[in-house]
Amino acid sequence: MSENSPQEAAWLKAESRAARRLVAPLIGLGLVGVALGIGQAAALAALLAHALTGRPAAVALPLAGFALLAVLRAGNAYCGEVAASRAGIAGRRRLRAEVMARLLAAGPALLRHRHSGELATAAIDRIEGLDGFYGRWLPAAGLAVLGPGLVLVVAAGIDLRAALALLLAGLLVPIGMAFAGIGAARAARRQFLAMARLQARFLDRVRGIATIVLYGAAEDEAMRLAAAADDLRRRTLRVLRVAFLSSTTLDLAMVAALVGFALRLWNAPSPLAALFLLLLVPEFFAPLRAFAAAYQDRMQAHASAALLATLPPLPAPSPAATIRHVAASGVSVAFTGVSFTWDPARGPALDDVSFRVSAGESLVLVGPSGAGKSTILEILLGFIRPDQGRVTLNGADIATIVPAALAELTAWIGQKPMIFAGSLAENIRFARPAASDEAVREAARLARVDAFAANLPEGLETRIGEGGFGLSGGEAQRIAIARAYLKNAPLLLLDEPTAHLDPATEAEVIASLRRLALGRTVILASHSAAAREFGGRRVDLRAGRVVALAARGAA
Amino acid sequence: MRAAIRPVLRILALWRRRWPMLALGGLIALASAAAGIALMAGAGGRLAGALIGAAGMAGGLRALGGGRVVLRYLERLVSHDAMFRALGDLRVWFFRGLARGTAGGLGFRRAGDVLARLVNDIEALDGLYLRFLIPLATILVLLPALVIVAARQSGLLAAALAALFLLAAIILPWRAARGTLAAGARLSQAMAGLRVAVLDAVSGLREVRAFGAEGRMLTLVQARSSALFAAQHDEARGVARAGAAAMLAGQAAVFAVLLMVALIPAGTVGGTKAGGVAIATLVFLTLAAFEAIAVLPRAGAFAGRIAAAAGRVLDVAEETMATPEPPPPRKPVHGHALRFEAVSFRWRADRPPVFDGLSLELPEGAHAALLGPSGAGKSTLAALALKVARPESGRVLLGDADYASLPAAEIRRRIAWLGQTTHLFDDTIRANLLLARPDADEAALWAALAAARIANIVAALPEGLDTWIGEGGARFSGGQGRRLALARALLSKAPILILDEPCAGLDAATEREFLATLNEAAAGRSVLLITHRLTGVERLDRIWRLAGGKAIAAAG
Repeated sequence: MSENSPQEAAWLKAESRAARRLVAPLIGLGLVGVALGIGQAAALAALLAHALTGRPAAVALPLAGFALLAVLRAGNAYCGEVAASRAGIAGRRRLRAEVMARLLAAGPALLRHRHSGELATAAIDRIEGLDGFYGRWLPAAGLAVLGPGLVLVVAAGIDLRAALALLLAGLLVPIGMAFAGIGAARAARRQFLAMARLQARFLDRVRGIATIVLYGAAEDEAMRLAAAADDLRRRTLRVLRVAFLSSTTLDLAMVAALVGFALRLWNAPSPLAALFLLLLVPEFFAPLRAFAAAYQDRMQAHASAALLATLPPLPAPSPAATIRHVAASGVSVAFTGVSFTWDPARGPALDDVSFRVSAGESLVLVGPSGAGKSTILEILLGFIRPDQGRVTLNGADIATIVPAALAELTAWIGQKPMIFAGSLAENIRFARPAASDEAVREAARLARVDAFAANLPEGLETRIGEGGFGLSGGEAQRIAIARAYLKNAPLLLLDEPTAHLDPATEAEVIASLRRLALGRTVILASHSAAAREFGGRRVDLRAGRVVALAARGAA
Repeated sequence: MRAAIRPVLRILALWRRRWPMLALGGLIALASAAAGIALMAGAGGRLAGALIGAAGMAGGLRALGGGRVVLRYLERLVSHDAMFRALGDLRVWFFRGLARGTAGGLGFRRAGDVLARLVNDIEALDGLYLRFLIPLATILVLLPALVIVAARQSGLLAAALAALFLLAAIILPWRAARGTLAAGARLSQAMAGLRVAVLDAVSGLREVRAFGAEGRMLTLVQARSSALFAAQHDEARGVARAGAAAMLAGQAAVFAVLLMVALIPAGTVGGTKAGGVAIATLVFLTLAAFEAIAVLPRAGAFAGRIAAAAGRVLDVAEETMATPEPPPPRKPVHGHALRFEAVSFRWRADRPPVFDGLSLELPEGAHAALLGPSGAGKSTLAALALKVARPESGRVLLGDADYASLPAAEIRRRIAWLGQTTHLFDDTIRANLLLARPDADEAALWAALAAARIANIVAALPEGLDTWIGEGGARFSGGQGRRLALARALLSKAPILILDEPCAGLDAATEREFLATLNEAAAGRSVLLITHRLTGVERLDRIWRLAGGKAIAAAG
């Protein structure tokens, strides 16, 4: 396992460059702080020398200088911290927007391979973890050379040998840190991976907590969580053991310098100079300490880079010529020799599928579960692209239609509708944010949402929790149907729209879907007999192949 | 302020098991702090002594230096280890509390919010020990050392230094803490808000794409993110203010020492050379002592976040302890007939009753069906049978025991349930099945899969039982996932099976096959089939229809 992959290194380099403008003022403020510290050391040394040697000296000037510099230093430190916070925020804001845009652009296909908890971790925790990269590591890395350099120049002006000793002690630091850093980076990456897994695992357990409790497995799960947390602790400690070692190197170098100066410096040019040099030691090491402290921010950044590098890149904006908007009135659909495989180990989900649906026609896809019905709908929704063959809408290849235009064309009712945080009305309005209250109520009525909303404490304004509090599968599905009503799109894609409904409600919903279907192109995937009453042509699917095409009733 | 301290004290009490290790970390920190200031003061005194030809602190400097480095390393390692152990315990405790209260699902809570509490809020609590308690402990060494050394020069100076030290170590952190209480609560909420928004967008990627809502979702996430950044920036400003104040207090202390030096006629400090050495020692000691506690006012500025985090963690984990569970029954429960006697129930006082005097009996080994349209309360009946909800009046009995006298775990051990919201975990098929019966052998797993009509599909997978099923069973079709959940319910050894719409999402042929073999698969066990229609192939002893909050016998 190499320490850094080329993509990671490139990513970090690009980030450092992008943040340069944010970081430069921070380095400037840091340098001013070092200069103020040197001034204070001088004032302090003058006063101490006066006390020790009794040589007459103007006491008032250093005393006043010390006080003034103290105030300036505090002010400078305050400004530096606020600016660091600002830089960290600016960097994270830019990055979070980019990561979210990438996730949204990659779309539903991502969820086949990645847990939503893991993706959310990328957009939240990994980016929060980069705060220190912008606010601390980048400025500290700049200051780690400039700050001690400034102190060295001053020290060399007084006593060359002392400056040389400081330089030697200072050089110990990067050597020690490099030695410690290699192992730490590797351990850090494994630790972040463990952290992401633990989070995804826990999110999954929280969502299914009722299932765990009802199977009496809560205690087993708690023990497993304890084991996972303990594993994470051991990994984290492995990182810290090495990370602390690098700051220990620093402690060691500073102690060596202090002890060395204290034992050997009495033959310096003057007591004043000796005291000044001793007081410079902490100032010399302060930027290096900040550097060592920020080193783990750099490791975090590496781990984040590794994860962010695995996210799909933003698609290049399509050249204007290939963007196709298909006329919104009347959509015809054609599949020609379409194949698709989710997982090569399990064989193709669709195998050379061809059919046509004319504008305004209804088509019912029939077949046992796993036959490929949902896969056909997911291709039409643009979630996935066929491995082979062509799918066209009004003759335009679906691959050339921009996602926004495709979304305009289609309304979709899936098997497990996502209920977002918010009220019932907000969830329906998701389909068309600009819709009037009147239109939302009408959609709720047509989808029979009002029938159960009437029993909720605040009707359509009732807020719903994870997976929909008190909402049964059928109720969630009716919200999805209301969304389709509100959206009013020319192509209607229905994936088992009545799977969780009782016969009476199913009949009502089918009747209302038939009204919705008037003048629209409809593709309905179902195995329920009642849904087949929907009317229209049938395509029978078995294991990804079309086994029968049949006309039934009028289209 | 008191309201903020109570949850923090409760958290400290929960760490009881780790107290010895946490205390050890504190002790090492004390030793390390002592070595640190002794080193600084010793170096200053030694140099000063050498400069004026007096004996400073002789020798021992190297040993002090080495000791300081080693102790500092140990301090960090031990205190972090202790902290992580304590946080791990807290996470498990939180999960147990959550499990106690959520047999009926998360309710109005979002999973993202719960996750934020478990991850971010518990993580924020590490500041309580590492940033607060450890530096506070070092006061015990630093303050006496400072006062004793200063008092040799002048009582007034010692008093001034002690006052400044207490200002920096106690008063400034206290003030910073008070200033950030509101901001800390805002920060925790903003984090949870962001988590909910991002999880909604990511889990709902299908809806987002289908409705072209990418722009809206991005805007929402950015707005939540901005709220978080604003709260973080407020906190950062508070921390920076506290840090600057701490720095000024330290500088004021050094200034006080220098002022005393300046006021005494030159060369006559204390009248002796030893006096000069003592002054130098004091200056360096002051510098080191104030630097050691400079972290405390900063920590104070984090107090808001820590208190808010403690409150949010306790909120979820403790809210469910209100209704105590009865103790385990003294004599074993006889029989497992399930009986509802004149049960009335409503979910909330302001909602209409779901049941009004419902009575039914499922005898041992009987197979029965409960029919009714959506919304008639079929799932509520399952909730009552699993003791997720308690009847308003009337009673539920298992064998000869009233539910009110039975712990929920005792009941759930005897009932296997397949609900509409049954969750498939992002794990292997095997792990998902074993949830119902951890000791099941290979043959039992395959038998359950066969009864649920999915054995053929699983057998055809290259990795068989060890196939990863994805989030919520995403790698399988809806109907296949449903059958895996069904297999899990059938695998359980519980004598009662409650199947809530077991055939939703199954095609007609599979449904009939399953129902026809259910009798054989569940021979000897009681089965309650909750469904909205019968296909005609079920072999049932009893059938009830739910209407008007009562169960009406339809046949049997």
